[in-house]
Amino acid sequence: MNTIRNFCIIAHIDHGKSTLADRLIQRCGGVEEREFRDQILDSMDIERERGITIKSNTVTLNYKAQDGQEYQLNLIDTPGHVDFSHEVRRSLMSCEGALLLIDAAQGVEAQTLANLYLALEYDLEVVPVINKIDLPSADVEKVREEIDEDLGLDPYEAVLCSAKLGTGIDEVLEAIVHQLPPPAGDPEAPLQALIFDAQYDAYRGVVMLCRVKEGTLRPGETIRLMHTEKEYEVEEVGLLQLKQVKAHQLAAGAVGYVIAGIKTVRDIAIGDTITAAERPAPEPLPGYKEAKPVVFSSIYPMSTDDYEDLAKALDKLALNDAALTYEKDSSTALGFGFRCGFLGLLHLDVVQERLKREYGLSLLLSAPSVRYELTLEDGSEITVDNPTLFPDPNHIDGAAEPFIKAAIMMPERYIGVVMELCRERRGVNTTYNYLAVGRVELTSELPLAEVLFDFYDKLKTVTQGYGSFDYELLDYRPTDLVKVDILVNSEPVDALAQLVHRDKARPRALRYCEKLAETIPRQQFKIAIQGAIGGKIIARTTINAYRKDVTAKCYGGDITRKRKLLEKQKAGKKKMKVVGAVEIPQSAFVAVLKADTDN
Amino acid sequence: MTANPGPGLYLHLPFCSSICPYCDFYVLTGDPARQRRFVDTLIAEISLCTGGRWPVVGAESPVEPFDTLYLGGGTPSILAAEELTRTLEALHRALPIDDDCWISLEANPEDVIPANLDAWRQLGVCFLSLGVQSFQQQNLDFLGRRHTAEQSHRSLELALGAGFHTVSADLIYGLPDQSREDWQHDLELALALGPQHLSCYQLTFHHGTPFGFRKERGELAELPEEAQAELFLLTHRFLAEKAFEGYEVSNFATGPEHRSCHNQKYWDHTPYLGLGPSAHSFAGHHRWWNRRKIKPWETRLEDGESPVESSEHLSPTDLAFERLILALRTADGLDLESFRSVYGVDLLSANLEVADRLQVDGLIRVDSGCLVPTTRGLAIADTLARSFDITE
Ligand SMILES: Nc1nc2c(ncn2[C@@H]2O[C@H](COP(=O)(O)OP(=O)(O)O)[C@@H](O)[C@H]2O)c(=O)[nH]1
Ligand code: SF4
Repeated sequence: MNTIRNFCIIAHIDHGKSTLADRLIQRCGGVEEREFRDQILDSMDIERERGITIKSNTVTLNYKAQDGQEYQLNLIDTPGHVDFSHEVRRSLMSCEGALLLIDAAQGVEAQTLANLYLALEYDLEVVPVINKIDLPSADVEKVREEIDEDLGLDPYEAVLCSAKLGTGIDEVLEAIVHQLPPPAGDPEAPLQALIFDAQYDAYRGVVMLCRVKEGTLRPGETIRLMHTEKEYEVEEVGLLQLKQVKAHQLAAGAVGYVIAGIKTVRDIAIGDTITAAERPAPEPLPGYKEAKPVVFSSIYPMSTDDYEDLAKALDKLALNDAALTYEKDSSTALGFGFRCGFLGLLHLDVVQERLKREYGLSLLLSAPSVRYELTLEDGSEITVDNPTLFPDPNHIDGAAEPFIKAAIMMPERYIGVVMELCRERRGVNTTYNYLAVGRVELTSELPLAEVLFDFYDKLKTVTQGYGSFDYELLDYRPTDLVKVDILVNSEPVDALAQLVHRDKARPRALRYCEKLAETIPRQQFKIAIQGAIGGKIIARTTINAYRKDVTAKCYGGDITRKRKLLEKQKAGKKKMKVVGAVEIPQSAFVAVLKADTDN
Repeated sequence: MTANPGPGLYLHLPFCSSICPYCDFYVLTGDPARQRRFVDTLIAEISLCTGGRWPVVGAESPVEPFDTLYLGGGTPSILAAEELTRTLEALHRALPIDDDCWISLEANPEDVIPANLDAWRQLGVCFLSLGVQSFQQQNLDFLGRRHTAEQSHRSLELALGAGFHTVSADLIYGLPDQSREDWQHDLELALALGPQHLSCYQLTFHHGTPFGFRKERGELAELPEEAQAELFLLTHRFLAEKAFEGYEVSNFATGPEHRSCHNQKYWDHTPYLGLGPSAHSFAGHHRWWNRRKIKPWETRLEDGESPVESSEHLSPTDLAFERLILALRTADGLDLESFRSVYGVDLLSANLEVADRLQVDGLIRVDSGCLVPTTRGLAIADTLARSFDITE
């Protein structure tokens, strides 16, 4: 056990985590770069493109240290985005140590800090690694200062490397061996293994990745998942050495995979504890939290014919994404679709992107919503995330919405604009403190709903790209919630209804109205487009009727052309959704629903 | 106008002395020798129809004699009288032509001289369509016309005195920045001379014409839609006050007997045969058209082949839709009962909501069994045609 090291790399996006992981794997495995990319990362296009690791790629490395000793290094990958923070926690819980990677040119960023706090919360030994020292703009001394002042770590323990060029990789490996502790645990104790990730394999079913904390996992034994309270028989265990390598057991301290005839990822829960059915542990490992969707949106196929395909695609995605929830939904304007729940906006983006790219679907998504808690006049409590299910406001006694704690790091000069942004977004308790000279960390308690709506883009704009952002969910707080309906010729367009804070209702409604007015073609009558709360109109625009639409001449030679042109236009109309006798083209919905910005 | 139930005949005579920058007809310039060669070829095409045979296989050749003949173009008036005479003689030899055949001729003001007027009368022309376009010099200049405002007056006067059954003046409105007053002035000047018929065309910048090109480059702008609508309504209302019936989007007559009974055939699916380059023909379920350019049209005929370029078969739905499109452009509108019996579509019940709405908005009305566009409805006839569903 003394020769095992379980560690992860934590870093702000783009600081080089994937690159460093690649280097470590290459250095230990002696694999050609191309070959190993094909082996490990082939299904990860979207994540690669976005520079974000979404699913863990955990790997066991064999490293012969400079002292001649062979070590087994388990690199436990962590998702790099806040949406997946529960997964990050599971990964951290599986480690004894972490490399905190910092870009030598960018320095400490919001996620660096957030990740460090998390690592410390789990008592991990942290070794700072300064990456990208090859960059001309690298400022190692400044980063050392930040490590000292912002992070409170020993700057002289920091290892310097360039993951890109491969310099300093041996030093990183030596630091892992000598500065990170080996795992503790008793192979003879009752079994406690933490599930920190799971993947679906079409042939084998669910492959769980776990860290054995106590006891030993062996094939043939019956295991019990302590939270879901289900039992399975272990078919196979093994190590993750690029490929799955079968082993006869996984003993305390080990990291590996378990296959136990489980059909879908929905049957298990990340963070659950595996124990033995025969001699169960008295209690599960601490810190289990169900991964709950917090962002909701209805997904409709552009063409109603694609509904079945969308259903199949979601089924498939869900095999590997336990956090994605979906149920049937329908809209009079857009037809059948699914109400989906996501861990966050990025999760939503990734799912949408995969549906489009991997399944070739054209989709329309309704405006993302959070889940609100409502207290009704009869005292009962319900949650609502779908505007169409919003009860009659007369029966609502109170509403609450989820708040987050946002941490924003930026150069000092942007404090003013960022404070203003937070204020606009209904932020409270906005404070900041200086991390180092000229660098500030601002925290604000914001409604999650406000962050869903182009907050990140705005932040990037006002800080000219220098602001970094991280958040965690806090709690539910009372809110003044209204449902805004968009009416076309007095008829509501259900797919455009939204739940928003009263203060935001008017600008949001006006924007929607204006976008519709721009995109709905004129018709033979005047079209009124209104935004309303209940019966009260809060925004309006009109589309004037056609006044002149006739060609001057229509004689022998013009008739065929005229008929064909009108037929084509009519066919275009057929595809439109009709609301209040007004034909609304698909493009109007696209324009409105994409317009997720207030100005 | 039930007086002319027989098929119509159209001859496309493509020559003009110069080409107007807004024109999108198939036209060309050519000296008298070129024109003579053209007429020779046209006579060859006519001869192919000898015995009343229509050129397209599958098209049901009507048996009734032709009772309208339209000499269009181009500027038929540019052709020497003997060329026109030769052409008409050839027609009479090859095709059954009614004794009372209603002959229309398009003429440009510069060709309106007493000798020509006599010759056209001799040929039997009863409807003279005169391309005056405007009575105001700056408008004529803008339109690139060859004649003067003075010639506009003079030619209309002369034509009116020459004894034709109907003299029509072609006018163009909707010039960039044209005011209501400017346009109404043109109308007043025309009416002062007393024509029985007016064709008032809103100026369109067609792609492929010099004006179209200038528009695409941003040098010329069409009137905004609102202003176009205003001029359109002004035209119809003003002329209605002066006892001109707007019987079609762009056509006005002082009485039913002065309507263009040839054009009428295009709008109610009466068969018509078109000869000459780019001419279109229609019969039964078929429409076909000749090679557009004079060269390939001539080559085909010189080789003894048909100059027809292509044809289309019209399904009942196509025909029904065309009926609707065309009827909604006319003041007579659509006879609902006859539409139902021919196409099996009860238009109003198939479009209850739409029809209601359009009536409430004052765009159509139902008048003794006919669906009739109002004047505001005529202004958006294309929108109206798109509003109805005829597929039930
Ligand atoms: N110059 C330089 N670029 C690096 C280095 N390490 C990573 N990069 C680049 O930084 C970007 C982000 O790296 P990646 O490993 O994807 O970051 P991650 O988001 O933390 O996984 C990529 O364009 C890498 O090529 C380095 O040591 N030097
Ligand atoms: S005279 Fe008439 S046909 Fe000839 S070019 Fe001008 S508009 Fe066209």
